[in-house]
Amino acid sequence: MIRDITIGQYYGTDSVIHKLDPRVKLLATFVFIISLFIKRSVLTYSGATLFLIIVIMLSKVPIRYILKGLKPVFLLLVFTCVMNLLFTRTGTVIIDKKPLIITTEGIKSALFLGIRLAELVIGSSILTYTTKPAELTDGIERGFKFLNAFKVPVHEFAMMMSIALRFIPILTEELDRIMKAQEARCATFNEGNVIKRAKAMAPILIPLLVAAIKRANDLALAMEARCYRGGDGRTKLYPLKYSARDGVGYMVLLLYFALMIGIRVVIAKFKIGI
Amino acid sequence: MIKAKNITFEYIRRDENGNVLEIETALDKVNVTIKKGEFVAILGHNGSGKSTFAKHVNAIFSPGEGEMYVDDINTHDLDRLFEIRQRAGMVFQNPDNQIISSVVEEDVAFGPENLGVPTEEIKNRVDDALGYVNMEHRRLDNPSKLSGGQKQRVAIAGVLAMEPKCIVLDEPTAMLDPKGREDVIKTIKWLNENKGITILLITHNMEETVSADRIIVMDKGRVVLSGAPREVYSNVGKLKSIGLDVPFATRMANELADAGIPVERTVLDNEELVNTLDKLILSMGISKDKVNSRFEKPKEVKPYVSPTINEIDGKSSIILDHVQYVYGKGTIYEKKAVVDANLTITKGEFIGVVGHTGSGKSTLIQMLNGLLKPTSGAIYFNGQDISEEGYSLKFLRSKVGMSFQYPEHQLFANTVVEDVAFGPKNLGWDNLKVDSNTFKAIKAVGLSDECYDMSPLEMSGGQKRRVCLAGVLAMEPDYIILDEPTAGLDPKGRDDILELIDSIHKERGITVILVSHSMDDVARYADRLIVVNDGVIEYNDVPKRVFQNVDKLKSMGLDVPNVSDFMSRLAKLGYKTNPYILDVNEAVDCIKKWFI
Repeated sequence: MIRDITIGQYYGTDSVIHKLDPRVKLLATFVFIISLFIKRSVLTYSGATLFLIIVIMLSKVPIRYILKGLKPVFLLLVFTCVMNLLFTRTGTVIIDKKPLIITTEGIKSALFLGIRLAELVIGSSILTYTTKPAELTDGIERGFKFLNAFKVPVHEFAMMMSIALRFIPILTEELDRIMKAQEARCATFNEGNVIKRAKAMAPILIPLLVAAIKRANDLALAMEARCYRGGDGRTKLYPLKYSARDGVGYMVLLLYFALMIGIRVVIAKFKIGI
Repeated sequence: MIKAKNITFEYIRRDENGNVLEIETALDKVNVTIKKGEFVAILGHNGSGKSTFAKHVNAIFSPGEGEMYVDDINTHDLDRLFEIRQRAGMVFQNPDNQIISSVVEEDVAFGPENLGVPTEEIKNRVDDALGYVNMEHRRLDNPSKLSGGQKQRVAIAGVLAMEPKCIVLDEPTAMLDPKGREDVIKTIKWLNENKGITILLITHNMEETVSADRIIVMDKGRVVLSGAPREVYSNVGKLKSIGLDVPFATRMANELADAGIPVERTVLDNEELVNTLDKLILSMGISKDKVNSRFEKPKEVKPYVSPTINEIDGKSSIILDHVQYVYGKGTIYEKKAVVDANLTITKGEFIGVVGHTGSGKSTLIQMLNGLLKPTSGAIYFNGQDISEEGYSLKFLRSKVGMSFQYPEHQLFANTVVEDVAFGPKNLGWDNLKVDSNTFKAIKAVGLSDECYDMSPLEMSGGQKRRVCLAGVLAMEPDYIILDEPTAGLDPKGRDDILELIDSIHKERGITVILVSHSMDDVARYADRLIVVNDGVIEYNDVPKRVFQNVDKLKSMGLDVPNVSDFMSRLAKLGYKTNPYILDVNEAVDCIKKWFI
């Protein structure tokens, strides 16, 4: 099942979006998410959706692949929509079969919320689809450097992230091995009630934890032996460098954001109801 | 380059209040000097202090007493710590736990990045380092896609990129298969000879040390022997007394000399031994033809024939009928791991399973107890199809016990007793039966009463393996599958575990299925051998017959037993030899006849 999740994975193709500096993409994701919360209206949502579609097309990541990424959050999506649909009481009542009451406002808010949530997930997964993990951590390290002034250990966070990424496949394999080994000793993991199942996890989780700590210890030693001493004075094999393309990227982003704010102002001024 | 003056180091265990519980002296007044450009091997069993010494060279530890100098820098001088680490790089045992980045080239760059080397220079260093270890072609790959040997070479490149004068390798081959082992040792030798890098190789594998300039033997924190390989390996008795061994060729030469053949005792490898014998025969005026004319054709060894259904009727058996296993069927990653396997395994056999890493042998054995289901074909246990609906896998797994590689990684309980009782409890047995089986099993693997309440995590490597074996035995299996039960153990630990397995096999009549990279081990214990290559069962025969095919096995990336290698080398020089010989004594008897 773990293998089915495409969200958060890198999809390697050669596209403009892939080539953008990770800092641009980080900011873009941030701006896009904010733009979804500007105003709940058909106009702003169409704007955001259009922007997203253009980015997806530029990124050359197949739509099918992206939609597959929605699978793990699909239940949550449906759940929130249904909740909104059933428990919104404002607006004109359409169906009234107590306890079931559905109003126009309910439909509207369910639709908007569903779209917002889906776009939120898709928008942020575009970042990971088009950016290699190593680039992403680099981007975070450089992009959030200003936080150093507030004593936030940005380099350390970025290093932790990249190590976590490196060890995910190793620990997944380890987990598989441990599960098989305990199964060979007649353990079962999907029998009995919740408590029984939780108890059955101990013979898997304890060895996994022990192994993870052992690995962490070894890794710390190996890093020290290779002269690791934090972010100060470190150089990079591939330092991040802005190119003209990234300038254009920032411009487009600015334009998009200005446009969205503009729409909001127009809506407010002329009291457009949609 | 490296100078250790009287260094002493202690591991101190304290309780929660800081009171000293136990002091273990890991290094006891060690004096070692290593010159620039030398290739030195440090040999010792687990716990001899050799790894502790290695960590002193890299200034991970600093001596409690005495002084340690690396390139004339005192390791007590904390201001120059990074200078020391840059000059004396270190490669560790576990290939996975020392690679930091998810891209090969970025990992190699990690060291120079830390040192603040300018970007352009880092690029050059990464290029060079990957070139030296022959890994340029994988520079953009994720390390998790590499084999163990390749990962270890990447780790070496990562050290090389710091431009060290010396590399310390702490058991770099302990977790590798024979091919990976050979590649790593070759790389080390090349670096020493062509780049003038001082090498300090920590190991308990004798064969790896023969090309070193010098061997330092450690025991209980002290240096007990030091000198050129030939000198060190002339002390056979002393080495044996501290749980070590000598290389096979040295042992063979000693056996021959003991049998009255005037052969030099301090030979280091088979090639040398064979050439020495050849010259000896010539110099003694015995001609090759004369030797060959005395050759008696050995009696044909009967091939293994699978028993027919009627022959095994009523007996316990595992039968594989046209079994296939395909990973990721229908996807682009589709890979046939096992192709058309037909096997019969009966109660009481000792079977060796060999094959290179990725040959499909792991998949094959995991099907035997139902951990993997064949994608086609059928497996019958005691006549019943195990894939059938309603077949009790619990029953199967209690009868066909299995212990994975590095089984100690699966220990989880607070005490040994609890851990061993895990299997029996899962079978739903009553407390009395669980208890009696648990204690019987612990006793059977040779652990004392004091171990009952110990935490398995506190035990030594060899003891942990015993606990795991007890965990399998406690379920009263008729068959046990052991995947590399000796991986990572030193020679003494290895022999102990194998003897234990053999005695369990003999006393209880349990079928043992031993998966191993060590051909010497399977040749010694197994009465049948299954050789898997690219998913196909290439040989299913008695060891004597399988190991005649020295060249074929080598082409599959496999080793052959040392005796077979020795005999086949003699045969290549034109001597008629008995290809069935697997035992040192038989080989000595065979050669003795030439000199009468």
